[in-house]
Amino acid sequence: MAGEPTVRNRYTWRTFSRELIVLLIAAVFCLPLYLLLVVALKPSNQLFTQPLQIPVPPRFGNFADAWAGSGDGSLGTAVISSIVITVISVALLIVFGSLCAYVLARRPGRLSNTLYILFLLGIIIPFQLSVIPLYVGLRALGLVGNYAGMIVLWVGVMMPLAVFLYTGFVRQLPRDYEEAARMDGAGTLRTFLRVVFPLLRPVTGTVAILTGMFIWNDFFASLIFLGGTDYETLPVAIYSFVGEYVTQWNLVFAAVVIALAPLVAFFIVAQRQMIRGFAGGIRG
Amino acid sequence: MASITLANVGKVYKGGNRAVTDLNLDIADGEFMVFVGPSGCGKTTALRMVAGLEDISEGTISIGERVVNEIDPGKRDIAMVFQNYALYPHLSIFENIAFPLRARRVPRAEVREKVERTARLLGLSEFLPRKPRTLSGGQRQRVAMGRAIVREPQAFLMDEPLSNLDAKLRVQMRSEISRLQEELGITTIYVTHDQVEAMTMGSRIAVMRKGVLQQQGHPQEVYERPANMFVAAFIGSPGMNFFRARYACVDDGHVLQLPGQSVRVPEDVVRQRPGLAAYRDRDLAVGVRPEHLTLGSGGGPAISASVVRSEMLGAERLVHVELPASAVVTDEVVEAAADVDATAVTALEEESGQRHVTLILRADPAARVEGGERVEVGVVAPRLHFFDLETGAAIGA
Repeated sequence: MAGEPTVRNRYTWRTFSRELIVLLIAAVFCLPLYLLLVVALKPSNQLFTQPLQIPVPPRFGNFADAWAGSGDGSLGTAVISSIVITVISVALLIVFGSLCAYVLARRPGRLSNTLYILFLLGIIIPFQLSVIPLYVGLRALGLVGNYAGMIVLWVGVMMPLAVFLYTGFVRQLPRDYEEAARMDGAGTLRTFLRVVFPLLRPVTGTVAILTGMFIWNDFFASLIFLGGTDYETLPVAIYSFVGEYVTQWNLVFAAVVIALAPLVAFFIVAQRQMIRGFAGGIRG
Repeated sequence: MASITLANVGKVYKGGNRAVTDLNLDIADGEFMVFVGPSGCGKTTALRMVAGLEDISEGTISIGERVVNEIDPGKRDIAMVFQNYALYPHLSIFENIAFPLRARRVPRAEVREKVERTARLLGLSEFLPRKPRTLSGGQRQRVAMGRAIVREPQAFLMDEPLSNLDAKLRVQMRSEISRLQEELGITTIYVTHDQVEAMTMGSRIAVMRKGVLQQQGHPQEVYERPANMFVAAFIGSPGMNFFRARYACVDDGHVLQLPGQSVRVPEDVVRQRPGLAAYRDRDLAVGVRPEHLTLGSGGGPAISASVVRSEMLGAERLVHVELPASAVVTDEVVEAAADVDATAVTALEEESGQRHVTLILRADPAARVEGGERVEVGVVAPRLHFFDLETGAAIGA
């Protein structure tokens, strides 16, 4: 009919080619994951002969062998150690980091500024520089080779980052909410717990992910402070598959898959919440 | 319910910036007091001092018989409605309204009963399970009111609660807040920069400027008898017209002399304002509201002017006329004009260098006037206002 607007096909070759490029880039990112899974499922004799091919049949026994571990401990013990250390450290970082940042952001003054600068320095200075005094100090306190010591270490090492992230966020938070709570008769702690802390959800997600990933993946500190004990974390336990003369790469990769599994499961369960947290900010 | 007394209250921020100076006010039990003034006049600071959210630098604030200077906001037994409502975004409407009760450890059953009663009063019952972000501006405003009234405080403090609403909703909420306040009879301090809100809602208004209380009183009284040029210019829309004139005594009475013409000031007007005697043969500022100027003399005092333009507003016509006289451009008038809009200031500054001044008069919508037309503008002489050019103070008794 004359005058009727023409409906154009918006899906053009140009759109298609753009999509193709994006898919190719995504494929490049998926390649390491493919290699990880493929090697984890290979029998030892195919590792170097057909490194990129999908193994037929896949050898799921690698996971059982990896789980059984090498030498003294099983991977199961390491998973528990990693979970205990990461979860408790992150929880303490969230509790103390948010409380500390709340005070720094809401009680401006010379002391607050100085403390904030010290926290910033804590981010800038590499923690490896202080490993020897830390080791000596923690050993004197009986905190080497156990969960408590590792948790104390991580809470201390990651606190500057947590405080930095929380402080920036609290400073952006309108004071009206806290003032409204004060007027409504809430004390400082109730105001923090019932009003401020829930509003910090987006940054709490960021703190949990950044610090949690760092702690979960750490090899260096775990090796030094927990090496040779029953509390070794996953990265250290995986390293035990790497021998001086022989390395069972398929078992190493299977162990890495096991180590990744809790993180992937967490991301799958919590991804909607996390994305909302990152993107949402605060909406009245 | 309680009265609120501010005695010699002052606020000086760190660095010496003074926000409020020597504020004295007695707000009676159940009264609706409106603090009004342009941005930065100290009205919100004064309110926040009553709330306890700002320290009091000087003077005392009492709620009822109790001096509250050192008392925590939560223990003053007053509720506040914030400009952006400050509803807790993560809590449901029910929990938002219940918050002050929970903070006071009110038993659960009582909390439910009170929240539901408040929600019914405000027409919010169906929204109780929802989150604030799912509500419209007007509904959020009502939730903020609900949170304030649920615990039956001694006083309400409201900090520009309607400024985020559109014009139509603002009018509706204005009457709703007034109705609620009358029903509950709770002493209320309401802060606004909108003089229409102040005039329509307040049982008394306090006009502030640069941290100093300019005038307080019933809205009608402030409108009809402004204490100074700032109040006269700030209250009223369109604002009061000002022009400079010489007050002179002639053989048969008193006149206001303008370039090329003079306006007779009736003897009863002179008698009612004995202060005018001191201004004989001196310049002063004359103020007249748009509704006290008429098209045509009607046998009373009149001035000759030419029409600049006329604006048809439906129920009335605003006619802009140009008068050969000098404009009054003082800080007070400029500040009041700035609160209306920036162009008003520009227009005033342009007039200051010229020998004519534009007046606005309210005319019948049926009146037919053309731009450039010469007209006689009648002056309702008893409603003329006179101000000292130096101090800006009203010249009266």
